[in-house]
Amino acid sequence: MIATLQWGTLAVCGVVTLARVPSLLRGENRSLFAVFALMTLAILLSIDAPYLAVDQALGGVNIANLVLRFIIFAGIFFLGVRVARGFSADDALRLITGPVGIAVAAAASAAVVLVFLTMDTAGSSAGLVALSAKDDRNAALVEYYGAAGRLYPAFITVALLPAMLRTLRSGLPVLVRSSAAVLALGTVAISLSLLSPVIPPSLGFLRFVVNYSAVLCLVLGLSLIWLAKTLAKRATKKQAGMT
Amino acid sequence: MPLPAKAFQLWLHRVAPSASTADICRISGIKRTTLAQQLVRGKVAETTLVSISRALDLSPLAELASFDHYAELAAPPQPPTPAELVSQVATMDLLRAVISRSSPAYGGYGDHGSSMTPALGPAPHATSVRNWVDAIDDGELRHRVSAATGVAPQNYSAQLTANRLSPELAVATARAAGVGFTGGLVATGLITEDEASWTPGAKQAALDALSDGELSALAGERLQALGKTLRRHEQEQAQTEKIWENLG
Repeated sequence: MIATLQWGTLAVCGVVTLARVPSLLRGENRSLFAVFALMTLAILLSIDAPYLAVDQALGGVNIANLVLRFIIFAGIFFLGVRVARGFSADDALRLITGPVGIAVAAAASAAVVLVFLTMDTAGSSAGLVALSAKDDRNAALVEYYGAAGRLYPAFITVALLPAMLRTLRSGLPVLVRSSAAVLALGTVAISLSLLSPVIPPSLGFLRFVVNYSAVLCLVLGLSLIWLAKTLAKRATKKQAGMT
Repeated sequence: MPLPAKAFQLWLHRVAPSASTADICRISGIKRTTLAQQLVRGKVAETTLVSISRALDLSPLAELASFDHYAELAAPPQPPTPAELVSQVATMDLLRAVISRSSPAYGGYGDHGSSMTPALGPAPHATSVRNWVDAIDDGELRHRVSAATGVAPQNYSAQLTANRLSPELAVATARAAGVGFTGGLVATGLITEDEASWTPGAKQAALDALSDGELSALAGERLQALGKTLRRHEQEQAQTEKIWENLG
């Protein structure tokens, strides 16, 4: 069940990334391709088999997980800037690229690196599951590490939430509004993932559901906009003339 | 509220005893699936009844009145007020009337209702519902309709903005304003001016009866509303373009 979700998400991200290649070659919105590519890579690194392969190559001390965190940070940053620009969310754009955003990014990065260095990270393990089983201290550090890693994505998406809700209530095309709704849903999922540490182990599968649906929501939301544009360019231009 | 399916079927059996559902759909141009769905849900749209009545050469107004909650339509129709008639003149026809009354130097004929002016377009027009409500509104109308029907004022306004109004609300609005029931049904496009027994030329006569001052003020209001709508549309268009430019 969880494996289906993981590989399914990877497939969706991969297909969307490949579909962006023609636009990339035409030079349209290159950073959007970067967002999709980084998300695909992030999903790849969160699945057991690919993670183990990559991490073994990097020395088997879970450097791959640290890389994964920064891939997510980079992807979410580009995404935030793009979405804020597109939806004319000047407040969100200032928050993300201004001093506050840089401070949050720096703090989250520092926290992730520091916690990583204090952990006993020997032995590749996707999601650092095996590490938290080592001893209580490591288990606590893994939780802190995860929380620090989720902080920045949550900050970016929450900054975008007001703009998404504004768009939802506007008179823009249905597909654009649906995309805003899906993106807002992704925000909720990312914010919920901050609660991961308090989810009881018996409901551990919820962590996966929340994490992967967050990524799926972001990718689907962006794809919807793209679809809307393609459809609109194809359809004959309808003008609300002076009747 | 749409018509109850049971009453509708009784009516159908009365007006077309020998016709099958397929025949009815064919002559009235209603999709079979649409009618079937309405019957299954137990609620038949008034437009369905109107289409069938037209196809059977019956008066849509009279047939609508044969249903319990439209019984008040059976009374001899109260004719529309001049303000209601003028509200059903399309904005561009109003502007044409302004030009037509201007001096020949500006392309007009300098008189009222010149025979040279092209005939008015049939109701409804692009903003006919809101214009109709504005024409009969004494300032408290929306509150009274809301109180009488339980429809929230913002939902009512949303319908007006979309140039829509359910037949039930159109009748309730007319009742609350104390005007004839046909105005709203024509403004919403449910029935034509002919079917509402409006005198041919009544709209033109009401328009001609406006003084130059009244006509200019009305045309100004309409233009302002049109400008607002177009500007909002342009802004939304620009916003959409921006989203596509950045995220498409």
